[in-house]
Amino acid sequence: MEVIYKYIIEPVQYEFIQRALVASITIGISCGLIGTYIMLRRMSLIGDALAHAVLPGVVISFMIAGKGELSLFIGAVIAGIVTSLLIGFVNRNSKIKEDTSIGIIFTGAFALGVLLVSQLKQVHIDLSSYLFGDVLGVSTGDIILSMIIMFVILTCIILFYKQLLLTSFDPTMAMTIGISVTIVHYLLMSLLSMSIVAGLQSVGVVLLVAMLITPPATAYLLTTSLKKILVLSSVLGVAASVIGLYMSYHFNFSSGASIVLVAVFFFMLAFVFSPKEGLLTRFLRRREASKAVIMEDIIKLAYKFQTVLAKEELVEKISGELGFRASKIESLISRLVEVGLVSSSDGKYELSETGKKEALRLIRIHRLWETYITKEKVTDIEHIHPEAEKIEHLLTEELADELDEELGFPEKDPHGSDIPRKK
Amino acid sequence: MNVISVKNLTVSYHKKPAIKGINLEIDSGSVIGIVGPNGAGKSTLLKGILGLLPFDSGEIKIFGKDIDKSRKRISYIPQREQFDWDFPINVHDVVMMGRYAHLPMIGFPKAKDREIVDQALQKVEMLKYASRQIRNLSGGQQQRIFLARSLAQESDIYFLDEPFVGVDAKTEKAIFNLMKELKDEGKTILVVHHDLGKVLEYFDKLILINQTLIAYGNTKDVFTAEMINKTYGGRLTILQRTEELVGQ
Repeated sequence: MEVIYKYIIEPVQYEFIQRALVASITIGISCGLIGTYIMLRRMSLIGDALAHAVLPGVVISFMIAGKGELSLFIGAVIAGIVTSLLIGFVNRNSKIKEDTSIGIIFTGAFALGVLLVSQLKQVHIDLSSYLFGDVLGVSTGDIILSMIIMFVILTCIILFYKQLLLTSFDPTMAMTIGISVTIVHYLLMSLLSMSIVAGLQSVGVVLLVAMLITPPATAYLLTTSLKKILVLSSVLGVAASVIGLYMSYHFNFSSGASIVLVAVFFFMLAFVFSPKEGLLTRFLRRREASKAVIMEDIIKLAYKFQTVLAKEELVEKISGELGFRASKIESLISRLVEVGLVSSSDGKYELSETGKKEALRLIRIHRLWETYITKEKVTDIEHIHPEAEKIEHLLTEELADELDEELGFPEKDPHGSDIPRKK
Repeated sequence: MNVISVKNLTVSYHKKPAIKGINLEIDSGSVIGIVGPNGAGKSTLLKGILGLLPFDSGEIKIFGKDIDKSRKRISYIPQREQFDWDFPINVHDVVMMGRYAHLPMIGFPKAKDREIVDQALQKVEMLKYASRQIRNLSGGQQQRIFLARSLAQESDIYFLDEPFVGVDAKTEKAIFNLMKELKDEGKTILVVHHDLGKVLEYFDKLILINQTLIAYGNTKDVFTAEMINKTYGGRLTILQRTEELVGQ
């Protein structure tokens, strides 16, 4: 408790920490929401480009209107939109592809910004806080600005949810029902520029794209619906910002770097452990699947041998037949006993009633499949599955029924064995 | 009743004409196949009629009006390959997009819209998959949810781009039955198709196209060896090749 108080609660009494916290939360939400669309529309590169390209906009507006939140905001949004227009213009009017035109325009704009900063006499701009962010240094005005930005983004996403969704998923259909893909694109570009203005304060120009795409990408690995991704990506954005803020406060790290590294850490966790697609999950699933295949083979063999055999004898026969260690076969048989497909009584194994049914089901699929590949002269089975004999384990009941119908409910397989009929 | 009128339509890609001088008058209540070899401009014709591509010259009227005034009455099913099937969306939400045409700019689907979506899914036998992610569907099922989306749109003209490519027998039958059903309700269905196999069975009328309109009429009159030969006649004419050179 004391540790929590000392490291987490105590700092909150400082006003600059309070401001930084509010900024982190609003920025996490703004970037998480807009970033989701940037990721889905494969515009990460544009996100990075606009983040860099707002620099000259900010400097020029400072030169004209002096330093202030409003001039920062207007300068950045104008720079963002002009940049995305320029990228589109170069793209349409030459044979240069989009990624190249993005690269040319944004580095050019950024270089212009750096040059202007070095020439700026009347207003002092701390370049490093623009480049790498300084969340501990945000002013009250900055916070009000980023709260307004969050509110605008949230409102637009709720009101134009349909248009954003449809133009992201199927722009052609959007056009056929009269939704202007161009207008939605520039609406998104404006919102993107705004979220960049907000994000500048915490992570800075160079790392900003990470705030836009890393939380959504993490959320995308963890969940499946767009609405859930929007919410989760905001939550992750906030979490990364707040944790990064504390790291920056306690260890005097650069706030941008800390926030981005926390976000990447979350991503790595999801990448490995995601219950749907994680590396670890996929590995375990594959292992489980290969076990299931062996268990199915054991059931079929046990059915083939029919007679009630002594445990060791059966295990030995099956392991000889399948080419696995007896100990492995034994442990898998005990799993079959657990699920009630095999019954075990005084030193003997026997298929239970459900076990026999399961065996017949498997044999039916196996023989139907063999009949099918013989009849259709399927030769490149490796093309369907690298291990041809495993296909029968993957066939669903539904597909087997369709196979049965297509083959005209055959009685016998090519080897002359009976195909068990479905009851 | 005349539903689509195309006059002297020319559409170019990168300054090369993809279709030239197309004239068509299409009546309601029929299934029309658009047939021609690869690169003949079949999809271009469809997209041109839909106003998705800028055209060099020509005039298109849908229900006697400009396309932008008839958008609620048309629906389009694009080719399946052009989608990102990893997009985080489920079957129900894809079909709901069909209702977007009828919703106000700022407005959310109502109970009635959900009902229409369910009915459309029922029609293509996909209701039980309503909450499934689209990435977990087979090719035929994917095609069927796009049919459902089109049905939910409650249009009068349906544009289908290669709906029979890579689908299973069940889906093929479903598409065929739906086309018939829609036709009986007096709707118009235009289908881009590149396989000549089942043309007679599928389509009442045929548009044979290879950059220019080769023939348009009842399938049994138009689908002749001579016309097919003319459409698929292999090499580009000297004229076309010259134009290509000049176009560069």
